[in-house]
Amino acid sequence: MDAIYWPSVFFLIFGALACGFALAVLLSANIVRMAFYLVLSLAATSGLFFLAGQEFVGAMQLLIYVGGTLVLLIFGVMLTSQERFVNMKTLAGDWVIGMIAGGALLSLLTAAAFSVPEWRGPERAAVENLPIEPNATPIGMGLLGARVDQIGAPADERAGMAGYLFPFEIVSVHLLVVLIGAAYLARAKRRSNPLPTG
Amino acid sequence: MASAINKLLDWMLSGLGLSVSADSAVGYIVAALIHITLIINLVAVGALVFIWLERKISGRIQDRLGPTRVGGKFGWLQTLADGLKLITKEDLMPDGADGFLFKIAPYVSFAASIAAFIAIPFAGGPYPWIAQHLNTGVFFVVAVLGLEVFGVILAGYSSASKWSLFGAMREAAQVVSYEVPLGMCAVVPVLIAGSMDMVVIGNQQAGLFTNWFIFHDPATFITFWVYLTCATASVNRAPFDLAEAESELVAGFHTEYSGLRWSFFFMAEYGSMLSVSILASVLFLGAWNGPIPVASMLGLTAANGDVPGYIGNLLGLLNVLFKGVVGVSVMIWIRWTLPRLRIDQVMATCLKYCTPIAAVMFLGAVVWQYNLPGRTFFGLLAAPQETFAVDEGWAALPTTTAEPAKPAMVERGAATSLAPRLAANQGRGN
Amino acid sequence: MSTVDDPRTIEFDVRTDEMLVNMGPQHPSTHGVLRLVLRTDGEVVSEVTPHLGYLHRCAEKIGENLTPRQFIPYTDRMDYLAGMNMNLGWALAIEKLMKYEPPEKGRHLRVIISEMGRIASHLVGMGAYGLDLGTFSPFLYAFRERERILDLFEEVCGARLTYSYITVGGATADLPPGWLEKCEAFLTQLEPIIVEYHTLLTTNSIFIKRTAAIGVMSAATAIDYGTSGPVLRGSGVDHDLRRDGEEIYTAMYDGYAFEVIVEKNGHYPKDHQYPAVPQEAILGDCWHRFYVRMLEVMQSIDLVRQGIDRYSRASGSYGEPMKLNQKLPKGEAYLETEAPRGQMGFYIVSNGEAIPWRARARSSSFCNLSVASELCRDCLIADVPAIVGSLDIVMGEIDR
Repeated sequence: MDAIYWPSVFFLIFGALACGFALAVLLSANIVRMAFYLVLSLAATSGLFFLAGQEFVGAMQLLIYVGGTLVLLIFGVMLTSQERFVNMKTLAGDWVIGMIAGGALLSLLTAAAFSVPEWRGPERAAVENLPIEPNATPIGMGLLGARVDQIGAPADERAGMAGYLFPFEIVSVHLLVVLIGAAYLARAKRRSNPLPTG
Repeated sequence: MASAINKLLDWMLSGLGLSVSADSAVGYIVAALIHITLIINLVAVGALVFIWLERKISGRIQDRLGPTRVGGKFGWLQTLADGLKLITKEDLMPDGADGFLFKIAPYVSFAASIAAFIAIPFAGGPYPWIAQHLNTGVFFVVAVLGLEVFGVILAGYSSASKWSLFGAMREAAQVVSYEVPLGMCAVVPVLIAGSMDMVVIGNQQAGLFTNWFIFHDPATFITFWVYLTCATASVNRAPFDLAEAESELVAGFHTEYSGLRWSFFFMAEYGSMLSVSILASVLFLGAWNGPIPVASMLGLTAANGDVPGYIGNLLGLLNVLFKGVVGVSVMIWIRWTLPRLRIDQVMATCLKYCTPIAAVMFLGAVVWQYNLPGRTFFGLLAAPQETFAVDEGWAALPTTTAEPAKPAMVERGAATSLAPRLAANQGRGN
Repeated sequence: MSTVDDPRTIEFDVRTDEMLVNMGPQHPSTHGVLRLVLRTDGEVVSEVTPHLGYLHRCAEKIGENLTPRQFIPYTDRMDYLAGMNMNLGWALAIEKLMKYEPPEKGRHLRVIISEMGRIASHLVGMGAYGLDLGTFSPFLYAFRERERILDLFEEVCGARLTYSYITVGGATADLPPGWLEKCEAFLTQLEPIIVEYHTLLTTNSIFIKRTAAIGVMSAATAIDYGTSGPVLRGSGVDHDLRRDGEEIYTAMYDGYAFEVIVEKNGHYPKDHQYPAVPQEAILGDCWHRFYVRMLEVMQSIDLVRQGIDRYSRASGSYGEPMKLNQKLPKGEAYLETEAPRGQMGFYIVSNGEAIPWRARARSSSFCNLSVASELCRDCLIADVPAIVGSLDIVMGEIDR
């Protein structure tokens, strides 16, 4: 029994759940079911975060992705549906484009993941020796622009290091664009000739 | 707990010549099962009690007796009888419904309702009674509470009933809106405690009731009432029970449900009521600390040994549950007194009143805490010193690192360069 | 609409489908078996069409096959919440045809009984309106008080809902001994309780939010649609058949002091002990219709007291019920009375037989409901029960 490394087992379970439901999103034709599978996939991903001891990110995943985005998605479904239980068919061309885009992202992420030496294999000892900070402070500091992995370095060496501030700003601008777009789509405007009121 | 179980197993199995190591997975799994069994039972038995309580309280409010017979006195087993009746009822599903989603929706709601209890502490001190001690517990609970809406939306959408759809739409709009002020209200005690860890927040309110965060300053006092309003709205209770408004939407999202599935929605509702009430008690009402610290006066703390510690924790558990039940009773009381608001009025209450008030109270708490640190009970008393030692990992970081001025300038430039393109996009759209 | 933008002037880029929804005939807040077809765009209702006939029982046709006294039990079942007042309307119409005038004591008895019926009916109206707005408790409070009235009625005639008590020529029996004292005691108890209802509903801020400026009906609209009763007076039209009706009906109230409950120059009569009209309320909205009903309860309490006083001083008989198969004089008669829900008219044509040649009822709820589609235009779904509830309809009377 001791031969089994249980965190790996749970990682595999959650990973399989996330991937399985992600596939279900792809293969399902009913848009609301797709949304539901997406919820489960994202929830499994947040399970991975919890497994990694990053409760803050996990809860964030639940709150923002699973909570917010999908409620909005369901709203979108309700606004766009012409009839109940809309079925979506994917064209062959869409499959190709999707494969290319998804494959590009996958290869990028795989390359990035394998560039971290400790993640290359199931080397239990190496993983266990990683210093795990069980709180959100480094992330918060990182979002503010501090290089949390370079705290010890002298001040002049840290001058050009930007932490996660740049991606953070990009994401915020992106979200702003999304919000403006949503407001634009759903905005109300006055009719030029209002109907007579009775 | 896991290692203790492993030790116990080791001791029990040693007679058979087997041994269990201290970090064996068996102990972890057994510990997890014990936790989840306790939580599910808390929700299920809680629902049993609260439904009975709701009937009794509403009966008394309305000049009736409520249930009197089942179970001997006071009809205390009425809910169980109802539950049996519900189990035997026919499980109906409309013809046009999306079967898979229709069947799974109540369980989604119920699971979300239960999941919130994972991070809720029932007793504090150095050895808290909590299923999973998360250092961002408040955040987790608020996040998970918002998930219950999924079951409701799925139920409403898959029922193939227009009334259900209306209920689901209302619920979605309402819960998403009320999460904002609810989160803001929850942040105020977090700010004062300096931690999102619910155990830390609870422990800081130890001592007399003057240390409770509701009495910390005027801002927290008002925040508590805003929180109560938002919590009532976010768990869909009257006067905010629009998703199941029986006089408008027949029964809203659960119009088409019957039998056991319907009762799962019910249990989820009462579970959520209990969890927001306990969250309120942890954040504002001293958590497991009673108004007078009886446990520590009698020396029932973990410092005096294991057994007094357990007894002290038991008292704390009773405190938390009592406060939770009081919170639920207040919601019941409100439900049987007030008429229902309209959907636009519910949204206006959230956006025009709750959110701005919560935001201002947040600022007020910041200003108060900055000017009167280490004071409690509206600044009249000094806070107990030892409870304010918060270990948040800040000490590990040299103070000089918190100066992101230079890199920030670079990104500002990047952001502004996007602005004309944004404007151009908007112009084209018009 | 004051709280939402007028949907007629707003256009959304995102077009959402309109949806036809059936509210009823099985629906918790349609007061029986009314079916409203709502055309909705999201939460906004653009059109409401009432569909009737689910409770049609051929009452009028039955009236043409029975003698007038045999028909009395059928009138009970028209407005089943105010059976006494229905009995009275039919009885008075026949009496008009027969040119019969009831004795003094019977007149006061009829005032007492019909005003008690009005109190009972308005109590249900109040409680059910609370139910429509999502508060359950006032409904049970109202029923608690109504039970007392039903107890009193039971003592009088043995029935609790379908009384057949007031009949052509008078009443089927005199009031039992000791009844007046019980009635007086009940009124004394009821009066302070009505004040409690005002705090529960009339002045409750959520109640005001839900009813004030909702379903506003101008006086002109109210008259155009032929509304009557509290619905009409709630729009500020000073009209009450107890004062403005035909001689044979107003004679019943001769010597009684009462003021028609209607807002005149911004004031309701006797508004000293009632909560003030809130700022948000507009004359003709749901709040005013409800308020008129609540004030009429107090008015009826006052009238019953006066009636008890006069009845106990009057001498002689309470009236002589007409024979079951007595021949009617040739001719026709139409009489409207002020039932709790408005003008209840009965029309009888006789060709000299004991059975009327034609019987017809003009129902107040029918006309009051007809205005619903006008009032519900472009309101929210939640306003539909609020508006229909404020009209206080009874389907038994509409479908007959």
